[in-house]
Amino acid sequence: MIQMNNITKRFGAQTVLSGVTFEAKEGEIFGLLGPSGAGKTTIINILTNQLDADGGSHGIGVTPFETGLMLDEDGLFVRLSCLENLNIFADIYGIPRSKSMEALESVGLAKAAKKAVNTLSKGMRQRLALARAILHEPKVLFLDEPTSGLDPGTARGIHKLILGLRDRGATIFLTTHNMEEATELCDRVVMLDKGVIVEQGAPAEICERHNAVKTVPDLEAVFIEMTGGELECIA
Amino acid sequence: MYSVNAIFSKQLRDILKNRMVLPQFIIFPLVAFVFTEMVAKPSGGVIPNGMFVTMFAGIFAGMLVLTATAGMIAEDRERKSLRFLIMAGVKPYQYILGIGGVMTIISLAVSVVFGLIGGFAGADFVKFVAALMLGAVASMLLGATVGIVSKNQQAATAVALPLGMILGFTPMLALFNESVKNVFGIFYTMQVNTLTNDFSAGFARAALIILANVAVLAALFALAYNKKGLRG
Repeated sequence: MIQMNNITKRFGAQTVLSGVTFEAKEGEIFGLLGPSGAGKTTIINILTNQLDADGGSHGIGVTPFETGLMLDEDGLFVRLSCLENLNIFADIYGIPRSKSMEALESVGLAKAAKKAVNTLSKGMRQRLALARAILHEPKVLFLDEPTSGLDPGTARGIHKLILGLRDRGATIFLTTHNMEEATELCDRVVMLDKGVIVEQGAPAEICERHNAVKTVPDLEAVFIEMTGGELECIA
Repeated sequence: MYSVNAIFSKQLRDILKNRMVLPQFIIFPLVAFVFTEMVAKPSGGVIPNGMFVTMFAGIFAGMLVLTATAGMIAEDRERKSLRFLIMAGVKPYQYILGIGGVMTIISLAVSVVFGLIGGFAGADFVKFVAALMLGAVASMLLGATVGIVSKNQQAATAVALPLGMILGFTPMLALFNESVKNVFGIFYTMQVNTLTNDFSAGFARAALIILANVAVLAALFALAYNKKGLRG
């Protein structure tokens, strides 16, 4: 459903994506893993046509209207309430405004419906951004680090919601730094390092290939092995 | 049409809740009212009754409309809100129409208030409001251009504020300096001031200069729009 074929992208002299090829199948949660600067957001920007690739082809198999997007910057209208934020998008999509309240209920923000966005905590803003992304029940959902910086309870709530969306048939394209999250949620993942795919497959398969199965598959160990994440942090 | 209405509704709600911008739309007519009632009218004709109204109305149309329009667009770009709107299917021209619609309604409301404070009636009232609205449209175009080319709100303010001050305050300076009046006569704000000060002045000539300004600013806006786009 979501395809990238031999994608290349350069910013000036720097090549940020090189020969990136993968396919996410319909109805699966597909994880894109990589350290900061690996090119994850660039891939989302290319797939959502916000950025042009320099080479290769890509497609998402649905119209832009059938996609939902949650990025690291939430883009919410800060002086408006949660409900007003969603109502604007309900109007743009031409769907009933009653859907806004349903979306708020699904992310546990019904009681905060009339609160202005600039009075919300980071976790609440993340949930509101997710509510906006799922408001029109998209067939494809792009989530760029949806739980980054959230407390475990809120993150778990978002995980449940993502799994629920998958069960309803949505295809979810997820980027994350969190290997535990990837193991728990993703049907398949690709690991990206310096713009190149270094590993891909189901989390359990990948861990088996790298002998990283202890009591549970340890995707984090494979991630560090493949990307040198720990060494980079020290440097 | 859904999208234009949605952007219009969003911007109207937003501006009504914006404690930095909304008071400015109220303060200018309020100050004009106070000065007219407490300074101009008691002066017994030494200071013309409409002087403060035309002065502050000119600053409103030349400066405030410009900075507010630039700020709105730059804020939506900086916060990435514009990106989500475009991704949801809003066309850039629909976004601009929505923002422009709100600024037009607000400008019209404030112009009417200025007209009432100035005590204009009948055809003079219509001419006064029409002149201010022409000026406001020119300022909106310039503000939208600044908003499009600016990376963020701070950059937009850095450009829009001095531009607005030059455009808004030049008519006042021209009261004391004939050269300023002659040199800057090609600015729309000078012609707005001419029209609102003296209804017997050549309306056609002044309106033509303002329309020429609007045409140039529209071309400038189109150039910026084509070059920078509104991807957010």
